[in-house]
Amino acid sequence: MIMNRRSLLTTALTLGAMKAFPGLSFAQARPLVFATFTGSWEEAHKAVLVPAFRKANADAAMVLDPMLSVDQIAKVNAAKANPPIDVMLHDPGPALVAVGQDLVEPYPVEKSAYYKDLIAEAQEPMGPAPFFQVVGLTYNPEAVKTPPTSWADLWKPEFKGRVGITNLNSTLGTGWLVEIAKMRGGSEANVDPGFKALEELKPSLAAVAANPGALATLFQQGQIDISPGNFNAIQILKARGVPVEFVAPKEGAIAFKTTIHIVKNSPNRELAFKLIEAALTPEVQTTLMNPPYLIVPTNSKVTMGGEIARVLAKDTAELKKKFVFQDWKKINEQRSAWIERFNREIKI
Amino acid sequence: MGAAPASRDVTSYGMGLAAPLALFFLVFFVAPLLQLFWLSLHNDTAGLHWGLGQYLHFLTDPFSLGVLGSTLLLGAEVTAVCLVLGFPIAWLYQRVGPKLQTIIILIVLLPLLTSVVVRTFAWIVILGRQGIINATLQSLGLIDTPLKLLYTQFGVVIALAQVQMPLMTLPLITALGRIDPNLDDASCSLGAGSWRTFFRIVLPLSLPGVIAGCTLTYAAAITAFITQSLIGGGQMLFMPMYLYQQASTLQNWPFAAAISIIFLVAVLAVVSVFTTLGRMSRGYGGA
Repeated sequence: MIMNRRSLLTTALTLGAMKAFPGLSFAQARPLVFATFTGSWEEAHKAVLVPAFRKANADAAMVLDPMLSVDQIAKVNAAKANPPIDVMLHDPGPALVAVGQDLVEPYPVEKSAYYKDLIAEAQEPMGPAPFFQVVGLTYNPEAVKTPPTSWADLWKPEFKGRVGITNLNSTLGTGWLVEIAKMRGGSEANVDPGFKALEELKPSLAAVAANPGALATLFQQGQIDISPGNFNAIQILKARGVPVEFVAPKEGAIAFKTTIHIVKNSPNRELAFKLIEAALTPEVQTTLMNPPYLIVPTNSKVTMGGEIARVLAKDTAELKKKFVFQDWKKINEQRSAWIERFNREIKI
Repeated sequence: MGAAPASRDVTSYGMGLAAPLALFFLVFFVAPLLQLFWLSLHNDTAGLHWGLGQYLHFLTDPFSLGVLGSTLLLGAEVTAVCLVLGFPIAWLYQRVGPKLQTIIILIVLLPLLTSVVVRTFAWIVILGRQGIINATLQSLGLIDTPLKLLYTQFGVVIALAQVQMPLMTLPLITALGRIDPNLDDASCSLGAGSWRTFFRIVLPLSLPGVIAGCTLTYAAAITAFITQSLIGGGQMLFMPMYLYQQASTLQNWPFAAAISIIFLVAVLAVVSVFTTLGRMSRGYGGA
């Protein structure tokens, strides 16, 4: 073959295009791509889950690609036939969207060695839940002398101008709104009482954070002293010496199942399954339960201990009693309307 | 397209050299933009039904129009602050020795060398309840309770002005540098005072720089997603956050596409106002 300028250019362009769009290549030989969340999740998965997976699978090549659930969905949606991600991680709301848009495969339950050991709430045939996130009240113990006990404490006059919340873009914000609606006689189908309660909370609000991460910064800055907050997010702050504590309110802490899914049309189906299996093992779950990660285990064979047993639940039975699981199918039906309403009504 | 004619006219240039860039823009800029526009012409989130529903929804909704209005206003405020603060710096730059010039240019450029996220977080530290400003005012006994600076329009404008300041100052420095210093002297010798000289000579001649700086600052300020959401908080909604919310959280791509097209048109309209002003001012400067 004679190499002239034109053919050289064509080759270069083709190679460049193949690099930019991996989907163009013919033989599929990319490593397993696991989309996790950013922040503490990424740290925990890099330190615990990935090594466990590699050890069990002869150092199989894999890549962690941290991003938000909604971005994972957008990416996979944009290239359904040849998705750039093999394993997705989702909060309950986005998980239903992903399943609804036919982006994930059913989990091969019959092949799984650990699925049956998961507590009933974590057994999701479209993708099991290896982790729980827990939302309760977070507060600064230096400024708040008597620990709060109920969601209603946020409305106490002494917290005027000291309360932080997040908007409804996040699972945390939406879930919390549903919970305060329930506290005032509403439900997943009727959040009107929740919005009314928000209206009354306005004078107390110091900030509406754009995302849960920003909420953590607000504690660090002394901008807020009390807020609904994520158990795991608080642990990082605590580890860095920020005075902040978590309590489960008496109405029950909100538990979000964090489910893990095999992406439909994934070229690495088998490895994806093995990664998820690794996340379900008692060993990985036990390590993740201990400091500094403090992630609530879902495998019933894991005995709860340490900070989790102290603050949240000492065993599965207590966990089920203390945690509130929300109906995200109902929530998703109206979520966009709520976000619009929040946009319009909540100006402080 | 790229082939050169056999007998070449020296005044015509082959398009061949521009073709790669044109192709690049076509593939990576025009095509996605067309796709975006195509997407915005659908009434449902799945993109199955054609229609102008998304545009109607936006343009008939006072709330959406309010978001657009406040975003455009935010840009105007930031641009004004940048111009008022940036012009004296640029003017000073042209009138000091080379050593001070180096220091000024370093100060102007320094923010560009830091990440926007870092600069924005610095503003959170400065403006917070226990931030530098509040702590100073409280220790001086000027205020009892901390002022609310963070999560206000004021905070967003100040932080954005600092973040975008180089975009204003650099074109101004260039424009002012092109003005012949003899013109100042000539104006003075003809009896004009320094203010008169400034308004009749320096300002008109620096207008190209002012227009360029304003355009850059404006465009950067209204699209500054990070600074807007971190300093403004979750309750202050501007177009970039609105767009993100619709596209990412709600997966409503057609509406998000319509929002971006409307935003794009609005920004282009403002920019063309700037350029028209620039053209008119050239006439004024020449008169």
